[in-house]
Amino acid sequence: MDINYQFLIKTFYLVLTAVPTTLNITAVSLLIAMPLAFYLAVVRMRPGKYIRPLISAYITFVRGTPIFLQILIIYSILPSFLNSTAKYFALEVNVFDWNPIIYAYIVFSLNTTALLCEVFRSALGSINKGQLEAALCAGMTTAQAYRHIIIPQALVVAMPNICNLTVKLIKGTSLAFLMTVKDMTAVAKIAASYGYNYIEAYMDVFVGYIIVCSVVQVLFDFAEKHVGKFRLIKQK
Amino acid sequence: MLKITNVHKKYNDNEVLKGVDITVDKGDVVVILGPSGSGKTTLLRCINFLDHANQGEMEFDEYHLQLNSASTSEVRKIRQKTAFVFQNYNLFQNKTVLENVTAGLIIGRNMEKKQAVDLALKALAKVGLSDRVDFYPSQLSGGQQQRVGIARAIAVEPDVILFDEPTSALDPELIGEVLSVIKQLAQEGTTMIIVTHEMKFAADVATHVIFMADGNIVEEGTPKDIFQHPKEERTRNFLRRILPPQVEYNI
Repeated sequence: MDINYQFLIKTFYLVLTAVPTTLNITAVSLLIAMPLAFYLAVVRMRPGKYIRPLISAYITFVRGTPIFLQILIIYSILPSFLNSTAKYFALEVNVFDWNPIIYAYIVFSLNTTALLCEVFRSALGSINKGQLEAALCAGMTTAQAYRHIIIPQALVVAMPNICNLTVKLIKGTSLAFLMTVKDMTAVAKIAASYGYNYIEAYMDVFVGYIIVCSVVQVLFDFAEKHVGKFRLIKQK
Repeated sequence: MLKITNVHKKYNDNEVLKGVDITVDKGDVVVILGPSGSGKTTLLRCINFLDHANQGEMEFDEYHLQLNSASTSEVRKIRQKTAFVFQNYNLFQNKTVLENVTAGLIIGRNMEKKQAVDLALKALAKVGLSDRVDFYPSQLSGGQQQRVGIARAIAVEPDVILFDEPTSALDPELIGEVLSVIKQLAQEGTTMIIVTHEMKFAADVATHVIFMADGNIVEEGTPKDIFQHPKEERTRNFLRRILPPQVEYNI
């Protein structure tokens, strides 16, 4: 097997230039999904007749279908839908001119929201209700109790799962090429297609993802230790 | 000062409180006794709206409200006038001892940090934990945690402190330290409502004893009335079972 080392190295740098795109999709999706997922998690924990089944259905849908399909469906349906909506309201926008990364944001946000919602729900549920009651008795409002007492503790519980999800999301963004977004995978594939150097390209992408995901995991370890200070102190 | 009348509370079909009245004046130490499931804890929790009663009225100083339809702001005002000590402490695990005590002042009552810390240190000194201010709850024994719970309650200078079986989760050898703190508060004239199973302690600190069973108040009166001259058969039965038997010799 001949490996074109020159191409290998050249493409590796090319892959690195696409890291920001991958991180961009990941970060924006997480930023959209976090507050949304948290809100849904809180709503889902409260008694309510109508909204809860809707949230459950949404989560079931997202969890029960491959992200590959979700991308294909949203990328083929959403633009036409948005276009006809825009036309209906006589808006002067051409949806088909949009940067495809916007659809990547939408797909990955929707996907991450559903998964994060479950992470948050389990984390919030792990903090005993007594502390909320104690906070209310201490004169706090429910919002203050969540902000100062419940969320800081739930976050520590959720951290490993959020890390898991983030890494999964980074890898998941490799499917963004379906929407013609030029992320790490797409860039390497395009480069490979000129001379059929697929093995080299895949090796580059492989290493690229390992580096990015490792750095993210280290950062999460660090963050987990920081927000979980109160847990780490040993019995004196 | 605090008067609650005709409290009814149902969990589904299970009626836990069947029309209970309770009156507390400033400086009173009201002790509520009764077998498990008699509604003692529920009554206490209805007073500061941790449980919402189905029916009942409350007069608390200038406030006069219906227990089942109090607004969020009314509930918060009542909660700011009371403090609650829990059976299983419920300390904030992510906060140090000092922060546990100041949280109600700084976050709940918008007090300046310096002033809050002063009050908190005073409260912690009173329960004998001045040397533990920077510890986290997980580093303390049960007795110490409960004393932090009491410090958290007295630091906000409430009109009345509600104790829900404050020693039930403690090792027998740690019960004493908590009871002596409560006793000291009683001597200082702190107004308290205490649910407890510690009979001797109840007889010592109470100014008024309430005996509850099956969601009703069976009998109430001074500790002497209840412990030495109980009128009701139900009370006598309960005390006989729970107090050490007084052996009668017959020669």
